[in-house]
Amino acid sequence: MRSLPGLQGPRAPPLPLLLLGLLAAVRRSLEDGHPSASPFTSPPIQEERMTKHLNLSLESHNISLTEHSNMPVEKNITLERPSNIELTCQFTTSGDLNSVNVTWKKDDELLKDTYLINATGRILYTQYLFTIVNSKQMGSYSCFFEEKKEQRGTFNFKVPQLHGKNKPLITYVGDSVVLMCKCQDCLPLNWTWYSSNGSVQVPAGVQMNDKYVINGKNANETRLKIMQLSEEDQGSYWCHAIFQLGESEEHIELVVLSYLVPLKVFLAIAAEVVLLVAIILLCEMYTQKKKKPSDDGKEFEQIEQLKSDDSNGIENNATRHRKNESVSQ
Amino acid sequence: MAHRAEPPDGGWGWMVVLSAFFQSALVFGVLRSFGVFFVEFVAAFEEQAVRVSWISSIGIAVQQFGSPVGSALSTKFGPRPVVMAGGILAALGMLLASFATSLTHLYLSIGLLSGSGWALTFTPTLACLSRYFSRRRSLATGLALTGVGLSSFAFAPLFQWLLGHYAWRGALLLVSALSLHLVACGALLRPLSLAEDPAVGGPGAQLASLLHHGPFLRYTVALTLINTGYFIPYVHLVAHLRDLDWDPLPAAFLLSVAAVSDLVGRVVSGGLGDAVPGPVARLLMLWTTLTGVILALFPVAQAPTALVALSVAYGFTSGALTPVAFSVLPELVGTGRIYCGMGLVQMVESIGGLLGAPLSGYLRDVTGNYTASFVVAGAFLLAGSGVLITLPHFFCFSVPTSKPQDPVTEALPKKGLGED
Repeated sequence: MRSLPGLQGPRAPPLPLLLLGLLAAVRRSLEDGHPSASPFTSPPIQEERMTKHLNLSLESHNISLTEHSNMPVEKNITLERPSNIELTCQFTTSGDLNSVNVTWKKDDELLKDTYLINATGRILYTQYLFTIVNSKQMGSYSCFFEEKKEQRGTFNFKVPQLHGKNKPLITYVGDSVVLMCKCQDCLPLNWTWYSSNGSVQVPAGVQMNDKYVINGKNANETRLKIMQLSEEDQGSYWCHAIFQLGESEEHIELVVLSYLVPLKVFLAIAAEVVLLVAIILLCEMYTQKKKKPSDDGKEFEQIEQLKSDDSNGIENNATRHRKNESVSQ
Repeated sequence: MAHRAEPPDGGWGWMVVLSAFFQSALVFGVLRSFGVFFVEFVAAFEEQAVRVSWISSIGIAVQQFGSPVGSALSTKFGPRPVVMAGGILAALGMLLASFATSLTHLYLSIGLLSGSGWALTFTPTLACLSRYFSRRRSLATGLALTGVGLSSFAFAPLFQWLLGHYAWRGALLLVSALSLHLVACGALLRPLSLAEDPAVGGPGAQLASLLHHGPFLRYTVALTLINTGYFIPYVHLVAHLRDLDWDPLPAAFLLSVAAVSDLVGRVVSGGLGDAVPGPVARLLMLWTTLTGVILALFPVAQAPTALVALSVAYGFTSGALTPVAFSVLPELVGTGRIYCGMGLVQMVESIGGLLGAPLSGYLRDVTGNYTASFVVAGAFLLAGSGVLITLPHFFCFSVPTSKPQDPVTEALPKKGLGED
């Protein structure tokens, strides 16, 4: 059982003091004869690592495991620039802490660097400190606690991912289009564009002629403007965001349609409307024509009736006149 | 052609209802769902959202201010040629918009040209509908106006789909094709000559007589006040909910629920309007007062259940007042002058509509929340319903609801009626 002065507790001591303590602890672990202790790195290189440490920010991440965790626990971490990393795994078990075997791996490769282990009560802590400065050091770092069953916690380090539109961009021949890539909370060092026919990626926008214009309003976005679109410009476009620690890319699909495509639909619908109007008007004329021949007969009857009304009406008018005269008087 | 003494109240009238249904769908449904295009325009022209939203504001303004023109032309030529011409104009506006290279281009083609087309279609159709019905006028109007609500449901996803497959240029081209159906709707508007028509004269005489008609002017004032308050919740409800920390999806869902109850309210109110005896203005006053009260209650409600209940109630009452608002007019001015009457009313009440939403936004900017704007909207509605009380025969219970001959013949010089 490797018991060391506990490194839990509030982060009160300043960093250099902590690192001197780290150095002392590392030496003591080697004196204990820990079988998996790595060859001790020479002091000058360690000095270098420490000075590098002081300039970079510190990222701390924890994973908690118990003996009953049946699924591997994973944590995804987004890293944009070189940093000091402090990974802590804690393991809670009811059994004997001495019999737990602790290891760290990066991408299935056993880590020979030094790491710290401490125990209080029923909880076993292990901590791995290191620095990430290039893309080779990115990947998955896992801590393993082996008792009866192996428990695993994984930290996945990735560069910031780009948010993309999954829908294809639809444009027309002769139009111009702007393809945009944006990184939400990050600042890439550089952006590049590629277009592809099939699987091969070809740099796009390299010849800054009238066809392509690359610019971006802020550092966290890039725009590729393509003018005078033709059907050959159709296909997949990729924007790459370049970070110190790697690259991430985004895919944009461009579709170039000819104007005839919607025009055909328009003409079909217009023809349908003309047909509807014709049907409505013809129906109306037809029903009016049906009325007319019978109307002639009806009109004749109506004229007869009016004549008889008139003859009655004259008498009625006469009576009305008389009534009015009597009223007005 | 023989002049009918009474509106047919059915028969071909139901085809006019169908035509009005599709027309209100194609005019207002398109206008309401146009917001889907705005995102694309903002990206394509790199303009601010505020400037893009002027497109539909101009369209609505032209549609409403141009209503008297549509009405006057319908009085002279009948509704059919006017509406068909309007349909062609509306479609042409959208067609030209699909070639747009700047936002100004869109203002002119969609706002001005399509707006003029819409001005020539909507008002003449509703007026024509009022001429075809008398006893079942409210129901017919209510059914026709459901087109607005249903099309808002259908067109928003449809436009989104069109944008996804054809981009905004192709989508505008196809919306233009859709708008061409206004021409087919116009063909359905068979001319109808009623007994009153020779008495009321041409458009000029009608307009002059209307402007001297007291009840008509009071009614116009009432509708303007109502219109000022009416649109505010539609415009600001979602923003108000966001202020209360609602998520966008439930807020949009609540608006849909309000739209459904709006639909139900229109039909129920239409049926009620015909069934209840007495002037329809009383029902209008009832719905308007209820809507005003509900609006004033909105700021008080904080709990989600209260807000949902209020939104449903608001949807119902505001939907209920629309068919009745259109039915009051024929009772006031008679079916002979209905075209010009409706045109004038639409034009004047649009002032209220134009003022309402910016006023509400201004109050919100000044006070920090929507309390003041909802209360002011409710106040406008209550004021409008107050003015409605001054309409003739409001408190009588035995006045027949068919077209009143007295106001018509009083206002015009007598032309051979009863001259001995």
